Amino acid sequence: MVLRIRLARFGNKHDPFYNIVIAQARSARGAKPLEVIGTYNPIPKKPTNLYDENASARPYKEISLDRARAKYWLGVGAQPSDPVWKLMSMAGLVEQKPTTFHKA
Amino acid sequence: MAPRIHNRRVSNALLPYLTSSQSSSTPSLSSTCPSSQLFLRQFSATAAPQTRLRRQMFQWLSTEGAALKHHVPGETNYLQGRADRDSDSHEAPRPFPGNRNFVSESVLSEELRNEVYVRVVEKKKSLRAVSVELGIDMKRIAAVVRLVEMERRQQSQGKPLALPYARAVHEMIPTTPLAQEGERQTFHEPINDLPAHPLTGAQIFYPVPESRSFTRVDAGRVFSGAPTLEKAVADKISHPSDLVDDIIQNPNSIEWVGKGENARQVLQPADVRIPHPQLVKLELDRRAFPNERRTVAQRHAERVEKQEAAEQQRRERAQARREKSVQHVEPEGSRFDYRIQDAKFTKETTGADGRAPWAPGRRYGVPSDDRKRGVVKIPTRVEA
Repeated sequence: MVLRIRLARFGNKHDPFYNIVIAQARSARGAKPLEVIGTYNPIPKKPTNLYDENASARPYKEISLDRARAKYWLGVGAQPSDPVWKLMSMAGLVEQKPTTFHKA
Repeated sequence: MAPRIHNRRVSNALLPYLTSSQSSSTPSLSSTCPSSQLFLRQFSATAAPQTRLRRQMFQWLSTEGAALKHHVPGETNYLQGRADRDSDSHEAPRPFPGNRNFVSESVLSEELRNEVYVRVVEKKKSLRAVSVELGIDMKRIAAVVRLVEMERRQQSQGKPLALPYARAVHEMIPTTPLAQEGERQTFHEPINDLPAHPLTGAQIFYPVPESRSFTRVDAGRVFSGAPTLEKAVADKISHPSDLVDDIIQNPNSIEWVGKGENARQVLQPADVRIPHPQLVKLELDRRAFPNERRTVAQRHAERVEKQEAAEQQRRERAQARREKSVQHVEPEGSRFDYRIQDAKFTKETTGADGRAPWAPGRRYGVPSDDRKRGVVKIPTRVEA
């Protein structure tokens, strides 16, 4: 069966929080995964302690990732889902997926 | 029955009382009323404008109430509790005359808080030094610097400040003034206080032979369940504050006791844990050398400088370590940045059953108590 690296939603209503997990592709989203390798907080945070020179800094989103485990699971053929692919490409673990659309 | 009329003048009847003190008689309310308006408001359900209570109100406003119209600077403007009525209102600062038990603590005056900002930001003095000079807690110093910074930014952006509000509050509560030239600064608050450590709550019966010296250092070891210090080590400590320098230079030198989750650092004497441990040394030096004030002050300055350098170095190292484990990604065409933190999901970090409370990420099969009663849900500290 296919192993996937995907997001498992935690948190409350309107307050999502994701664990990045290794799971069998056909298991439920909330089922216990094989392994947790990271987290992703999609709620953007405003940088604090800003002074005049960088007061216009962009809000940021927090990802935590165990790179060694991610590399291992990619090596044994686990397939990242699209959102996880995006996160992992930012971490430099996989190539960026070619987009199927072109921005005007 | 007269038609119930509510014309525009009635709704503004309070206006003369609120804006000028000259008018002393109640205005005639039902004298002029244009017929067109009368016709329009014929079916209004509003109560008749002139009642006994309204008459009494206007009477009060022109007699007793007139005294309350203008606020006396430096005093509260309540119905009861004004200085001319309650003679003892000046004994203690009571912003709420109705609550005799509330005595206000003093706050920083405008000059003092500006002086804090000037010393920290413009003269580049350390928080610690300014705290000792002005007798203000270090946390308060940090907060003042942040807030003044914010105020200046708002001023430069042309945003309005609530100055009348600030002025009114400062009139009602006592303030700590800034000392004039040559005067001695009054201390705003005690700066070297220490909350009671939870370990010291236990009542321990610990017999000690009379011949043995038993100091605060030993008491801390007893409270944390550590073995007694060896004699050779104990003899080197003539005063508990001797430990300060070593611990400031290397906080990791504090001994650990216990295993696993019960591991804890040995409780240090209060001389070490207070915010300004160097002041103890200074006082001891002053006692020992009462005639060498200059040397004592110089030695104190050296110690403080050394401590600050050590703290600064430690802060920088911690910051560098934090930066090293975080990768900042700024994708093009995205509204957000991403911060990728290195994490280790191993048996050690998640516990043997993978459910350790300190493990990264959210847990499976563990209730999250984020909505439970008694759990603090708001941030309790600001990252410095």
